[in-house]
Amino acid sequence: MATVTNWIDHLSAEEVVGAVYPGAGSSETLLVIIGVVFWIGWHVLTARSESEKLARLARKRHGANDHKSNITDW
Amino acid sequence: MTDQLGALTVIFTEFYYWVTVVLMFLIHVGFCMYEVGASRYKHHQHTLMKNTMVIPLVTVTWFFFGWWIYWAFPTGPGIAPSIMNESAALITDESTFSAKWYLANSEFMAVNLGDHISGVFWAAFLLFSWTAASIVSGAIIERITTFAFGILAIAIGSFFWVIDAAWGWHFDGWMLKILGYHDAYASGVIHAIAGGFALGVLIVLGPRIGKFSSSGEPRNIGPRNPWLVTVGLFLIYTGFWGFYAACNIPIFDLGPEYGMEGVTYWTATNIYVTPTTLSGITYNFLMSLSGGLLAGYVVAKGDPFWTYSSGLAGIICASAGNDLYHPIQAMLIGAIGVVIAYKMHYWVERKFKIDDAVGAVAVHGYAGVAGLIICGFVLNGYPSSGYSVGAMWDGSTYASINPLGQFLGAIIMFGVLGMLPGYVIARILNAFGKLRIPRDVEIAGLDYEIMEDDREAEKAVASSTR
Repeated sequence: MATVTNWIDHLSAEEVVGAVYPGAGSSETLLVIIGVVFWIGWHVLTARSESEKLARLARKRHGANDHKSNITDW
Repeated sequence: MTDQLGALTVIFTEFYYWVTVVLMFLIHVGFCMYEVGASRYKHHQHTLMKNTMVIPLVTVTWFFFGWWIYWAFPTGPGIAPSIMNESAALITDESTFSAKWYLANSEFMAVNLGDHISGVFWAAFLLFSWTAASIVSGAIIERITTFAFGILAIAIGSFFWVIDAAWGWHFDGWMLKILGYHDAYASGVIHAIAGGFALGVLIVLGPRIGKFSSSGEPRNIGPRNPWLVTVGLFLIYTGFWGFYAACNIPIFDLGPEYGMEGVTYWTATNIYVTPTTLSGITYNFLMSLSGGLLAGYVVAKGDPFWTYSSGLAGIICASAGNDLYHPIQAMLIGAIGVVIAYKMHYWVERKFKIDDAVGAVAVHGYAGVAGLIICGFVLNGYPSSGYSVGAMWDGSTYASINPLGQFLGAIIMFGVLGMLPGYVIARILNAFGKLRIPRDVEIAGLDYEIMEDDREAEKAVASSTR
């Protein structure tokens, strides 16, 4: 996985290779796919939990000033 | 990098942009403080988290596709040929400024010893993207779902504003070439588009419960924490200063760039690669801020919320031409923009029942549009690009700055790429029931459950100390 194993050899080469991250040249597309899945997955998970939370709270039908009884610090 | 002077220039440029990114982070801190200060107690935490999520959502999508769009779309596509490859198609060839290098799987979108600039330049534009999304965030507080805002933030932050940046900010953009569009510090490119987008969303989203009486009279739901709003706006001013620096190229030799044989001319340039100075734009930033504050204090009769916002609106209005204006021109333009924005805000509110909770459409949208149009008159005849000196590489010539071009540019920014997409996406989200929170939740407060949990936790703590 290591792209660089010896800095002296790397920097003294006739043409220094710029990309030095692990898996350079072979893993980028896979990383992008994983990243996109992670991003879309976040939306799916949070949308579901938000909908549940909003529906639960709406069912309780609190009044406009009910939240004041929850204020703990004065 | 093997020669010391060349290395110093590159490392200086890298560090310069990095500093602007850190400064611009304060814009987002300011927006978060401002929004929380403007919201009511029972919505505070939701308001904060909604805007905070702009950071990761716009960042990852900016990485995946936003930055690529900026480099791919300057030609339209199909509207004006590129000066680099003479093609009107997307710029995805092998040329130096091709979008190809900015695909998410490119080796330049990572630690690369051969590229010191891409990452900091990417980040500078990313911070502009956060700002575009955050502008929308303020207008729609207390009634939008986090899901819907996330989608809207990505749409404006990583898609629509980038298209306008490619068209009207990129040195190869078709709006410069055909319209003579000039918008050095983004009156339109960021502010008018974000203001227009917010307005499009607001039309569908509707006002907060209680904002309008049964007879349609607007009620004031003022900021609940004016001190948080104050500090927030000071931070936005500070970050905006960093934004101005970020819109410049700090050191550049224009001689070879313009094809002037044997001429060397090192200077700072604006984003269009035309000469300006950091010193000059500092005059104009402060004078337009001052013009805005002075006018805002008068029209708002000393109201702090609007006076602070007017400072921002003053800068926004003058920004299109602040690379070239005289400081007193900048001051006057800032003042004019504030009067227009303030009057328009209340007119639109009464006439169309639009509830813009923080005045974002006014401060960013109307002031931005006014700034673009005024710039067309004040800078009429200036070249929109250094490349207009003589024929371009494809044989055509850039148009010079003119009132009609700026007016059309304002319509494109505010209406075509701002208001229209905002309206359409909001309609789609609304059709799926995902745009607005339920009425009972809005009345109870989005933070109700968090506050309830806190109360129970507090009770438990109190009982353990008896």
